[in-house]
Amino acid sequence: MSADISDLSLVRRVQRGDKGAFDALVLKYQHKLVKLVMRYVRNPAEAEDIAQEAFIKAYRALPQFRGDSAFYTWLYRIAINTAKNAVVSRDRSPIEYDLDRNNTDESYDMQGRMKDPETPEGLVLTDEIRSTVNAAIDALPEDLRTAIVLRELEGLSYEEIAAAMDCPVGTVRSRIFRAREAIDRRLREVFEGGLGRVEELG
Amino acid sequence: MNEELDSQLSAMFDDELPAAECELLARRLSRDEQLKARWGRYAVIGATIRAERGVRLNAGLARRVSAVISSEPVLAAEPVAQPKKTWANRWWQPVAGVAAVAGVAAVSILWMRSQSPEPTALVAQTSAPVAPVVSPAGRSVAQLVGVTATNVVNREPDSYVVPKNTARRPVVPSTELANYVVAHSEFSSPVARRNLLSAFMASESGTATLPAGSEEPTEDVQDDAKIPQ
Repeated sequence: MSADISDLSLVRRVQRGDKGAFDALVLKYQHKLVKLVMRYVRNPAEAEDIAQEAFIKAYRALPQFRGDSAFYTWLYRIAINTAKNAVVSRDRSPIEYDLDRNNTDESYDMQGRMKDPETPEGLVLTDEIRSTVNAAIDALPEDLRTAIVLRELEGLSYEEIAAAMDCPVGTVRSRIFRAREAIDRRLREVFEGGLGRVEELG
Repeated sequence: MNEELDSQLSAMFDDELPAAECELLARRLSRDEQLKARWGRYAVIGATIRAERGVRLNAGLARRVSAVISSEPVLAAEPVAQPKKTWANRWWQPVAGVAAVAGVAAVSILWMRSQSPEPTALVAQTSAPVAPVVSPAGRSVAQLVGVTATNVVNREPDSYVVPKNTARRPVVPSTELANYVVAHSEFSSPVARRNLLSAFMASESGTATLPAGSEEPTEDVQDDAKIPQ
């Protein structure tokens, strides 16, 4: 299986003018991108702003993307450059420079809290999503849990998981799908009606 | 929702779906909001398993990006692809190299010609006085050049005189040829020796009829003397 083929098929659609395909790319990579940016800025809200800027830059630059590298590699490069530029411009700001110069972990966390628009309700919801997913994973049969964890946590391919679990690749595909379906069934309750607080999936 | 479709979506999320199926599913994914929501939840599941701390799973990032993108102009219908280097595009490169080298060589030759005296002029300067003047023995080169210049300036009528052929050098002198034939006859058969001697005598008799001062045999005679034994 050629790597990055699904991303490339979405990218080609965006390049042909299909904006909906770009939504799928954002949904897939938003968490990874925010996590990457948080290596440069520790505030989650600022990291999301930078990730948003990176996605928009990527969309505008997508006509020049030729597929020489994987899409996510290209996207990560844009995000890192955007984060570095944001840090530099923030450091040039005299007010924020004074805050950063005396920066300790505690003061930095305080800055993050001051800038973070996250409501307590939002924090609770994130925690609830995590606990729901973790509970669903714990409830999975052993073979499904192993397959999904090897895939998501270790990043193994289906072929590698098949070798590790000593089963056909088709079985791996089926196990991962069934694991996702079981987790998603419980997750949907949280998103769609459980708390009634989530309008969309971020 | 179709279970097979969901299974394909799961495989596509992991980059494990064949390309042809990917193309079809990508089209559907970009239009089907339910499918897109499921796709997004798959991403949340992955982020939770990886325990990506600090990442807000319910953040409105995707919605905000989508709102900005919706106001952006639609991208070009066709991606701006760099032209791939094919043979058809590359064939001219060696030709251009050869042409450049040839051009430099041509310019160099022209420049060298312009810097040095023209060979035809030299020939005219040296041969022109020989033709109109009969046996300019005893005259110096300066005198010859002076005569030539005078002739050119005074525009005297040209007169053609056959110059003495001093350039033709005999390939084999007559005495040497005789010695050669005699020496060779020791090893040749009587018939061949007779033929060769008769040919030699014939050439010698022809030579004897030549006017005085032209001692060399003609080239035809020399060729005849080289008949293979």
